[in-house]
Amino acid sequence: MIHIAPLPKEAIADPELRALIAEGEALGVPDDLFPRILARAPEQAVPLMRALLMSHARGNVDHKLKEIMRILLARFAKDKYFAGLRSAKARAMGLIEQRIDDGCFAYEDNAKGFSEAEKCALRYADLMFLDAGQIDKAFYDQMKMHWSEAQIMELGAFIAFHYGMQMFMRSLGAVPLPSRSEDE
Amino acid sequence: MSVNPDAVDAAFFDELRKHYSDDEIVELGAFIGFNLGYHTFFGTLKFYPLFAPDGRLVSQTESEKLYGAAPVSLGKAGAAE
Repeated sequence: MIHIAPLPKEAIADPELRALIAEGEALGVPDDLFPRILARAPEQAVPLMRALLMSHARGNVDHKLKEIMRILLARFAKDKYFAGLRSAKARAMGLIEQRIDDGCFAYEDNAKGFSEAEKCALRYADLMFLDAGQIDKAFYDQMKMHWSEAQIMELGAFIAFHYGMQMFMRSLGAVPLPSRSEDE
Repeated sequence: MSVNPDAVDAAFFDELRKHYSDDEIVELGAFIGFNLGYHTFFGTLKFYPLFAPDGRLVSQTESEKLYGAAPVSLGKAGAAE
């Protein structure tokens, strides 16, 4: 059972937040549970929802790769909520569950077909909260062989933001709304 | 939330509710999550504040000595001027 009840959708009057909720529902990440909880802190709800959507679905890094990274992080965070959500956009681009699982658990295996750039990005997500000490100058030098500095910042900020929100949702004991759950 | 997330359980929320409203708890939780993520990321970038405690613009090398892994006492640094 979730520790903090979300607000009812009809109690959210802010048109900007309502538009972001609709955008999230169309994408599939997040469903309306996350913003209805955030709506209890209205000054934070809009910028946090905007950052969540923008960092995931826009930018200059392949959305499918970021979707795998997002799920890898959520599984590491043991957050059932975000781990259970799937991007409809990534699915439409051809991302399937097997590829997600390979990206989470076996991306270093050459037989899985991840490029060196993708491996670096997945390693970045994998190590950030497992052992940030390994993300040192040599690691960033390796990243720069495959990604621009702008893309590295995009990836780093994406990892930081999504993991933080995943830990928050884990702390609340949240799970996806019934129609959205994919994990477990 | 960062060191032992399993300890943030129903009993913990009951304790929080003695002092904070549900709206305030959401504000705190989102704030903690945001900072938890970004400070780890920023830590990997090895950058430090542009200004010393006394207001001087300092190099990253000097700033690392002030704010890095083994910072000098900020109180002492400020009192030096």
